[in-house]
Amino acid sequence: MSDRAVAANGLGLDLVTVRPLLEEAIDVRFALAPGDRVIVEDGASVTVGAPLAERYRDTVLTEASLPEGTEGRPGARWTPPEPGRRGPGRPVGRGQGRRSGGELLFPWRHGWRVASGEHGEPLDSPVTGIVREVIPGVHIIVRAAGRAVRGIVALGGAARGRLQLAAGPSGELRPGGLDVGLADTILVVGARVDAETLTRARAMGVRGIVVAGLSSKERRDFLASEARQRAALHRLPPFAVLVLDGAVRRSIAGPVVGLLEALEGREVAIVTDPPALVFDEPDVEPAAPPIDLVRVRSGADAGREGRWIASLGPRRFEHGVLLEAAQVRFAEGPAVVPIGDLERFSLGPVRAE
Amino acid sequence: MTRDPRAFFALDTGAATASAALVARLAGRWRLLGALALPAAVGGEVACRTLLERLVGADPGMAAAVGVDPAALDRIPTVAVRSGPPRQVAVVAGSERALAPLARSAVRAGWSVRQGSAATLDPLAMSRLLLDPGVDAILAGAGDPPGADERGALPELAALVAAVAERRPDLTIVLAGALTDELARFGDVASRPGEVLLGAAATASADGHGLGELLSELALPPDDSRRAAIVGVTTLAEMTARRVEYVEIGFDAGVRAVADPTLGRDEPAVQSAVVTAAALAPPEPDDAVLDRVLGWSTLNLDRHRLRDRLRELRINPWAGAAGDGAALRLAAGRAALGRLMDATEGMHGSAAPDLVVAGGGAWAVAPGPVVTLALADVLRRPGATQYAYDHARLLGPLGSIADPDERRSVLADLADDLLVPLGSVITPAGLRHGRSVGRLVLHAESGDTELDLVPGGLELVDLAPGQTAVADFRFRDSVRLGGKGRQFEVEVAGGLGGLLVDLRDVPLKLPERHDRRREQLEAWQASLWAGLDQ
Repeated sequence: MSDRAVAANGLGLDLVTVRPLLEEAIDVRFALAPGDRVIVEDGASVTVGAPLAERYRDTVLTEASLPEGTEGRPGARWTPPEPGRRGPGRPVGRGQGRRSGGELLFPWRHGWRVASGEHGEPLDSPVTGIVREVIPGVHIIVRAAGRAVRGIVALGGAARGRLQLAAGPSGELRPGGLDVGLADTILVVGARVDAETLTRARAMGVRGIVVAGLSSKERRDFLASEARQRAALHRLPPFAVLVLDGAVRRSIAGPVVGLLEALEGREVAIVTDPPALVFDEPDVEPAAPPIDLVRVRSGADAGREGRWIASLGPRRFEHGVLLEAAQVRFAEGPAVVPIGDLERFSLGPVRAE
Repeated sequence: MTRDPRAFFALDTGAATASAALVARLAGRWRLLGALALPAAVGGEVACRTLLERLVGADPGMAAAVGVDPAALDRIPTVAVRSGPPRQVAVVAGSERALAPLARSAVRAGWSVRQGSAATLDPLAMSRLLLDPGVDAILAGAGDPPGADERGALPELAALVAAVAERRPDLTIVLAGALTDELARFGDVASRPGEVLLGAAATASADGHGLGELLSELALPPDDSRRAAIVGVTTLAEMTARRVEYVEIGFDAGVRAVADPTLGRDEPAVQSAVVTAAALAPPEPDDAVLDRVLGWSTLNLDRHRLRDRLRELRINPWAGAAGDGAALRLAAGRAALGRLMDATEGMHGSAAPDLVVAGGGAWAVAPGPVVTLALADVLRRPGATQYAYDHARLLGPLGSIADPDERRSVLADLADDLLVPLGSVITPAGLRHGRSVGRLVLHAESGDTELDLVPGGLELVDLAPGQTAVADFRFRDSVRLGGKGRQFEVEVAGGLGGLLVDLRDVPLKLPERHDRRREQLEAWQASLWAGLDQ
């Protein structure tokens, strides 16, 4: 039954929020801070692993004066002169900036304020694409080739690896289920995951985790661990956690599971802004989800899937709350559900009204 | 609205909800025929079409009489407003003292605010703040003349902001107070895509009234539903010759407007604020947000689970609204209303308004009497106030009607349909503790009702919507109820919650222990929540 047919039949499926399964050509943003060194230019094509920028830690504020006749502009690089060079154009630097150079922030008095860092770390592109915008100190935006599955949040840094299903859609991965054989993979771990499993996975060389729900406590603990890791002198490779649905446990949506199964064993990337799983596999053609498939998005029944029967209009629910309702056939039988609890799926993006 | 139609849609599309109302001319006046709210992602067009189909299904004769036909949906005019995600402004100043009034102006103008001063941030940290890609605008200000504590920092601050403006020409820059003298550093401002604007200084006492208006204009687009609702409330105050207070708790912001009738003045007197920190469920609920929601919660949840529930509410604002989801929304709504009142402190006198109009999704799922209680829990001002709810979200669309006469005329026609009367709340303050502080005799059409007034509790008197009565209070000691005295006669109007005599403390005192507080809140709420045990 087509969308139009369902609407025309008066079954009211168009009252349910549509969740697009896939997006094409998303713009991925890589944040930069003042002092970071940009390597790519606007319009450049980048491949997986291509260096985009060098990010610096321990950035400090320094001062410098430019050689006479040189005009600076905010965001431009400043390179200290070779040691021993003399003359009127000799820069006046101090602290870290003397060794590593930096980025011009703003003109001040007779020179410039400079952001200068040490311990540069490469920022490599996890996706193939075209650089759409570069603003030093702000961001690099890359339009990614291929398609993307959106999540609600991604934690950590952008990462790339081979996709592997490590638990069923409503399952859970425990720390004991991890071993070094999973290095360089992005694991789909089911309904929920705890911080201990995440930190252990990172230590084992796993590149990323895809999960339906991540509770606030596990999220906080993981972020604290990630911050400690970031402060360490020898960092591990980037590790990303993509949360598909929310903060409470629920199964990964059936149509998303179908797509992830089709991608198993292939190279995918997790990017953090926007939070998404990106893949460039033209031969992977996910099956269109049934038009009347609906899923409970949140609440006690989150993750349950069923088939739409009809919209019922306003109905009273628990605590006497009046809500727009629908009848849905679940595996256990038909039930009346608030329409606001439901979502349905489309293969591609939804056309804006 | 200029083609003299027989019907129109009023459409308010927010970040969470698309709300459509069908208004038609019947018997020579505008009437509300129906309203429907759906998740915003579903879209206003679907809401309008469904509403129309339901009208045709329920009363085809009426549909024909007002000339509406689902097959010709696009021929029905629509008065539409919308609200989008808040824009972010970075507010910077030379000192913390100068920063505070600037930030307050921005907070009340509908901006999501990040702030820092030269006293607390070095130029590198301030550059990071201003260059954050989430920032849409910069407000850099100083006193006029600048204070001694900020004067030394202003040249460097101006140089830094000008450099950021050069690097990100899309940013809107607002220079306020003495920093306007630094305009020359920004070069040819006409050639950059983002505007560079000059504003008045914000001071601790005046908050820069002109600056606030400028910031509001920049924060909210002309068709913004919150701006339009404030106009709608102002018109309502003018029409009814009453002091009206509007409090909206929405997905992305809270709105508060206090409008006084013009009473012959040229300009209506309205004070208003749109506060993003007063959103129902902020994107990242911090400990302060959590504590506040926990303080109003009747649910037995620990901090982690409550944070999860608030995150879920943010991600799926329409999901899980039944059952304890309704109680969660009420707790989050009370907490957000508290944040709204904090952010707008000093915006009003201590006098209670004549009418409080509630709006926004926070109040959409709970029964009317419980919403009244939630509002009375937070808006604790001694006096007698009528409460109502903008159930069809009409105030925004109707407030957007540009012609003031037409707006007044439509609002006057719809006066009986526009607002759901929640009831009247009478809150005396300064009650002495004891068994009884006096008696109330309610003189209504149906007869007199007598009540003993026991301090610390809530007394509920049935008074149906549309009914009026006179409440005759006799207190043993002097109390504050508008003025100070022992005898008061107050005219009250009925509503879904009837008349609520609120003899609890002003401000409300709740037990310190979570479990006892929860029990107390639950007991008050349960007494008004019909169907709570269903």
